Amino acid sequence: MLARFLIYIAYLLKNAARYQRCKRFFYDLLENPKSKLKSRFDIFMIVLVIASVSSLVYEVEHDEGVWSLYLENVVVSVFIAEYLLRMWIYSDSHQLIIDYYEHCEYLSIRFRIMTALKKVIAKKLAYMVTPFAIIDLLAILPSYRPLRILRVFLIFRLFKILRYSQSLKMFADIIKSKRFELQTLLIFLGFLVFIASIAIYLFENRSEGGTVDDLYDALYWSVVTISTVGYGDITPLTTGGRAVTMVLILTSLGILAFFTSIIVSAFNDQINGLRISRTFAELENHSGLIIICGFGRVGQQLAALLVADRQKVVIFDISEQRVEEAKQEGYLSLVANATQNDMLEKAGIKQNVSTIIGATGNDVINVYITLTCRHLNKDVQIISRANRHENVAKLYQAGADTVIEPFIVSGLLAAEYIGQPVAFEAIIGILHGQKNIVLEAVKVKAGSLLEKKSISEVDFHKQRLSLVGVISQNAKHLKRKNRYVIKQQHFYFNPPMDFKLQADDILVLLGRATSISHFRDQIEQSHLLG
Amino acid sequence: MIRYAVFGFNPMSVEAINRLDCNCVIVVDQAPECLKQAEENGLATAPIDFRSDEDLKSIGIGKDIKTLFCFFPDDSDNVFLTLSARAIDPELHIVSIVDDPDAENKLLAAGANKVINPYQICGRKIYEWIKKPDITNIVDHTVFGRQDLHIAEVEIPEKSPLEGMLISELQLSTRYNLVLIGVVDKEINDELHFAVGERDHRLDADDILVILGPSRAIRLFRKDVTHVGKN
Repeated sequence: MLARFLIYIAYLLKNAARYQRCKRFFYDLLENPKSKLKSRFDIFMIVLVIASVSSLVYEVEHDEGVWSLYLENVVVSVFIAEYLLRMWIYSDSHQLIIDYYEHCEYLSIRFRIMTALKKVIAKKLAYMVTPFAIIDLLAILPSYRPLRILRVFLIFRLFKILRYSQSLKMFADIIKSKRFELQTLLIFLGFLVFIASIAIYLFENRSEGGTVDDLYDALYWSVVTISTVGYGDITPLTTGGRAVTMVLILTSLGILAFFTSIIVSAFNDQINGLRISRTFAELENHSGLIIICGFGRVGQQLAALLVADRQKVVIFDISEQRVEEAKQEGYLSLVANATQNDMLEKAGIKQNVSTIIGATGNDVINVYITLTCRHLNKDVQIISRANRHENVAKLYQAGADTVIEPFIVSGLLAAEYIGQPVAFEAIIGILHGQKNIVLEAVKVKAGSLLEKKSISEVDFHKQRLSLVGVISQNAKHLKRKNRYVIKQQHFYFNPPMDFKLQADDILVLLGRATSISHFRDQIEQSHLLG
Repeated sequence: MIRYAVFGFNPMSVEAINRLDCNCVIVVDQAPECLKQAEENGLATAPIDFRSDEDLKSIGIGKDIKTLFCFFPDDSDNVFLTLSARAIDPELHIVSIVDDPDAENKLLAAGANKVINPYQICGRKIYEWIKKPDITNIVDHTVFGRQDLHIAEVEIPEKSPLEGMLISELQLSTRYNLVLIGVVDKEINDELHFAVGERDHRLDADDILVILGPSRAIRLFRKDVTHVGKN
């Protein structure tokens, strides 16, 4: 009966949307490293810890005030709530029960309520013995009156800060990665301390004419000496004692050097990974990201243009030297192979990447990048460079939206230049935005003042614009002349006065940038009003 | 008659030659296999050494050839060729590609009229595709593509009927099916003046109109501009 009730409750919780939402919220608040809520909560907790410890320090010499009592109560209740919530979200108890129940059903064995509860409790206990949970507990316990003696543990509240600070956590992780070396060192150090203490005790005890009273003194002396601190309150007087000291000092220098080198090398090993994860963390906050694969000359050129245009750019290159160059230029960049799924996924190809550019000088790699990216995200825009003409079709097949051939384009431009240098420079200047005149596309929005108007009704001349043509997919225009078919679209060059604009047509306008943005604003406004 | 000399046979020169679309091109390359390839494509070739002035003159530089393309992969070769050709013919049009961006100034100093940096162009092109996909798509397929829509420059000769006209009176779009992009007034500077909305400009001889349109309309307009000097 009780068992059935338990199972019923478990299923109820599993299907209760509000319960799940609630749990989700607390997960975001406490654990989810990506949520903004957590970062705010962390700051709040750090402030709380510092406040409580400050009040503790204040009480050492002053009387306990009413306010500090209140503060203590608030702090402890927050800590307790936090502790319990963390325990709650650590595991899904109802899921454990359901899993066990289904397991029993499947094997047709009896559902034992004790086993189910044991599983649940085991999981919660597993949480309680994690280092952070222990610190949390120790930060709470001393507030319990009968345990006043544990006051010193209040200092554990400071350790709680570790939980809320990412960089301190990283530091701990780095130290952890050198566990083996540090263990070796520690064993050796213990050994040395042991030998030195015994030796100094034998040589320097009172009966020998020294100043060491007991083994504790000896231990104290050897630790002070090994650490190269050497207070000098206990100094060896006998010849034997001095000999031991000299050997100990030389050995301890070596140990210190060893210790330092372990820490430094740990940082060195990890710093690259840290940097990469930092870069990725930075990327997460952006949308509309552009990934440039390959920081060769094309990549450099492109990155400079995009950055000048305030676009967010990430550079992937497999050569460390090039990535270093990119970093010096101030770009976000990674030594990464853009054909690796995990790198692209970490960079957010599924969420916040808008465009990927294969700009390497190797077509094989460009095809592979294109294929990988298209596989990971169906909608992302992929532009690739093709160095050989025969690879263009392959790139399109791999999923590229646009393929650019640097050598073909250059040859074409060289020929285009001949005979009409002025016109050439003019159009290139306009396209590159080097002149104050620009060629821009403006969309006719449904319900805006342009829709269903004929060209003669829109006074482009008054707007100081000149209409070059209209891009449209609308079948209504098909009978017009001056039609150019471009991929799936039609471009109507120099449309006549009675050309009626339809929604979603795109006007190609020539004019000063200010006129165009003014015109665009007008359309936007009329679109909003209509 | 040979009018264009293309030095260096590679995808770039193939595209340029296709675009020039005439049988007046001669291809020069140091590598015999490249020359053979060019011949297979039906192009006139000359097995000469570009380092020798005599050889350059022998194919017509300084005489018939009006335009020289330097498509060698090495910047040093292109600079040397530009320098030699410029010395032979000060009027020659020289277009060169550049590999290292630093060499651009050297080429200009050597006398090239136009230096093309393929990597820069590629970078720009990708940027344009990101920034203005619609415009780039149109321009690439029409002006730089195979469709019949071109940019052209038309210089106004002395006594042309257009002399003394205001830009606003031209009405190119209705009369000729052309779009006027701008005017360069050589008397002021080489800058392009935008056609619409600016201060109205009175055309005079030596002004250059930059227009966009189908080739038939351009031809027609060009004829009208030059033709009526006689009446």
